[in-house]
Amino acid sequence: MTAHSSGVSRRSFLGAAAVGAGAVAADMTALDVLRSPLLASELKRGEKRVILLWLAGGASQLETFDPKPGRPTGGPYRAIPTAEPGIHVSELMPKFAQRIKHTAIIRSLDTKIADHGQAARLMHIGRRDEPSLRYPDLGAILARELGQADSRVPDYVNFYTATEGRGSGISQAGFLGARYNAMFLTEQNTPQNLHKLEEINDLDHVERAELRNLLTARFARGRESAPLASHNEAYARVRGLMASEKLFDISGEPQRIREMYGPTLFGEQALIARRLIEAGVPFVKVSRAWWDSHGQNFETHLELVTELDHVMSALVDDLQARGLLEHTLIVTLSEFGRTPVINASLGRDHFASAWSVSLTGCGIRGGTVYGASDEDGQTVKDGKVGAGEVFATIFQALGLDHQKHYEVGIRPVPLTDIGTKPIKEVLA
Amino acid sequence: MSVDLQLKTLKEHSRKEIFLCVVRAPGGSRIFVGASDGNVYDVDPLAEKPDFQPLAGHASFVTGVAVAGDLLVSGSYDCKLLWRKLAGDEIVHSVENAHSRWIRKVVASPDGRLIATVGDDMVCRLWEAPSGKLLHELRGHDEQTPHHFPSMLYTCAFSADGQRLATADKTGRICLWDVSTGARIKQLEAPGFYTWDPRQRIHSIGGTRSLAFTPDGKSLLAGGIGAIGNIDHLDGPARVETFDLESGQSTHVFSGDAKGLVEQLVFHAEGKWLLGVGGDNGGFWQVYDLAEKKVVRSEKAPMHVHAAALSDDAMQLCAVGHGKVVVWQVENAAPGSN
Repeated sequence: MTAHSSGVSRRSFLGAAAVGAGAVAADMTALDVLRSPLLASELKRGEKRVILLWLAGGASQLETFDPKPGRPTGGPYRAIPTAEPGIHVSELMPKFAQRIKHTAIIRSLDTKIADHGQAARLMHIGRRDEPSLRYPDLGAILARELGQADSRVPDYVNFYTATEGRGSGISQAGFLGARYNAMFLTEQNTPQNLHKLEEINDLDHVERAELRNLLTARFARGRESAPLASHNEAYARVRGLMASEKLFDISGEPQRIREMYGPTLFGEQALIARRLIEAGVPFVKVSRAWWDSHGQNFETHLELVTELDHVMSALVDDLQARGLLEHTLIVTLSEFGRTPVINASLGRDHFASAWSVSLTGCGIRGGTVYGASDEDGQTVKDGKVGAGEVFATIFQALGLDHQKHYEVGIRPVPLTDIGTKPIKEVLA
Repeated sequence: MSVDLQLKTLKEHSRKEIFLCVVRAPGGSRIFVGASDGNVYDVDPLAEKPDFQPLAGHASFVTGVAVAGDLLVSGSYDCKLLWRKLAGDEIVHSVENAHSRWIRKVVASPDGRLIATVGDDMVCRLWEAPSGKLLHELRGHDEQTPHHFPSMLYTCAFSADGQRLATADKTGRICLWDVSTGARIKQLEAPGFYTWDPRQRIHSIGGTRSLAFTPDGKSLLAGGIGAIGNIDHLDGPARVETFDLESGQSTHVFSGDAKGLVEQLVFHAEGKWLLGVGGDNGGFWQVYDLAEKKVVRSEKAPMHVHAAALSDDAMQLCAVGHGKVVVWQVENAAPGSN
């Protein structure tokens, strides 16, 4: 298997941090270092980051990115103009509408699969499952491609607090190996089992680590082996992860920032995502479940889209204010969209034939719409794409060659299926 | 009150629209129906080939229609109220942004002098019916649910004497108002209508969807849906809760076999019986015995019923809903009962 990452090494970054900020914790929990313009700019220059907002259960394209007002399928919501002339979105997204210059909307996904489990798999790995090969998901690939070998922060963090659909939203490193599995947070916003034992005080903890290092160095003298290196790397990562716990604690954030994201769980997790991104975590997935509105679609979307609009806008504003938006790609994905036909419960059902996703920030030509559904939203009228094209576009936006191959045994496996092309129209 | 009813279908008309509200024109069988295409339809559903005459003017779902004197007032998710003459379709008055969010219900006072409207701005507004002049703004419902999401003010109803008005929201809060002063008299809580799922799906469903005062004005009934396990669907018990208005206490919860929302409660003018209509993916109608505190009948309707209107003689009930208009003959099911 071959894979290469580029960018500023974390070791050199940490060295700079130590020089610039005095006694800086080597685990990057001290976010104050980022107040140094030099350090922040170094981080910004080299490293690309991704926040995936996973809208689990299937968000309605008609109540978000592809409204059809006045049509029998359109539902009750109006379309509102955005800051970009000619582009309209649902009236439930007024804040997003004003920030459209950072976002490309893709309105022409036809992904065929309208079953939660299979569709979620498709939109996580960008292609159909294969019996003989376990593919890594988007987060694992980007952890590998954007992360640093000697990273002491997690490469891939996945929030999924709701229980519905969690089984389909779980991460999968596949053939990349367990090194790229996500830190998976389900029960609370802070990682569990990272605390040192209560009976061990801080001094003991440090001294134990120093003793282990001493013994390891003595043992390693004159020896070279991959298992030994891996063993030591694992210890280093665990120590880094233990110390990174503070990244998940938003209590120290200014009240103004906390209010900006709002009081909901989704808002809080988005704020943590920003903290993680800022500290160098390359991929954070925040799962917002559950959008499966078979009954009362419009009431459900009034709740969930209002929240999405607020949280996405907070993320955009916050990342922009910190100079990080141009290096951070915010992606909204679902497993599918929802039927144009309104059922008797005023609900919408599963629909994969013409639905929408959005890409915001890094590498994206903002203020654009790609593709179109027909006037009732029943079929793709123009620019039909699938999951592979969306993944290729994401890779390209991050400066990654979507045709790059991993070697799995003797088999070359490209990042996206052969023949898949990125959607150039939405790339900067 | 102890009566069992049977509803016999007289007419059933299928349409492509979703019908959300209905009101009868005085005398005869003509009705006005608010629809999902933004039209109010003027139709005689008892006609052999009914002609659904569209009255345009709204840009979204029409969710409230009321007749006051010779005027028809309609409200919509487009936040607009329209006054028009019953004869012809001339719009004589309109209020853009009558509410800053969706209008959920429009009702006329029993004497036809007032119009009450509720919307998701969580305000009830009282209007002078003939002129359209705003008289009172009634504020007592929170704009957000306890879980920080937008709340919804679904419904309102006048008492039979027209002196009191009740309003009810998504979380189950019910406010009682003095119509002449606009003062809040009482606040009732009916949280059993609101399902918040903090664990599996992390959003909410439900709400108090219908209200009716007993004809003697001593009790108030609220309708909606009870606790739902899987909030992807309207998969909970149709729920009606009664409140004693003197004490403000809940006195009973009716929960029969039917699943879904109780969208409207229909009292016989003299209190001889009470009907509830609603649905989930299908529809139902139910008869409630307030004295015996039980659901005496629960039957399927041909569609999710969003609203119903009773004829002046209480012999016909016109129900509207998902793709259908149905006229039922109201008959006593138990011979000898009053």
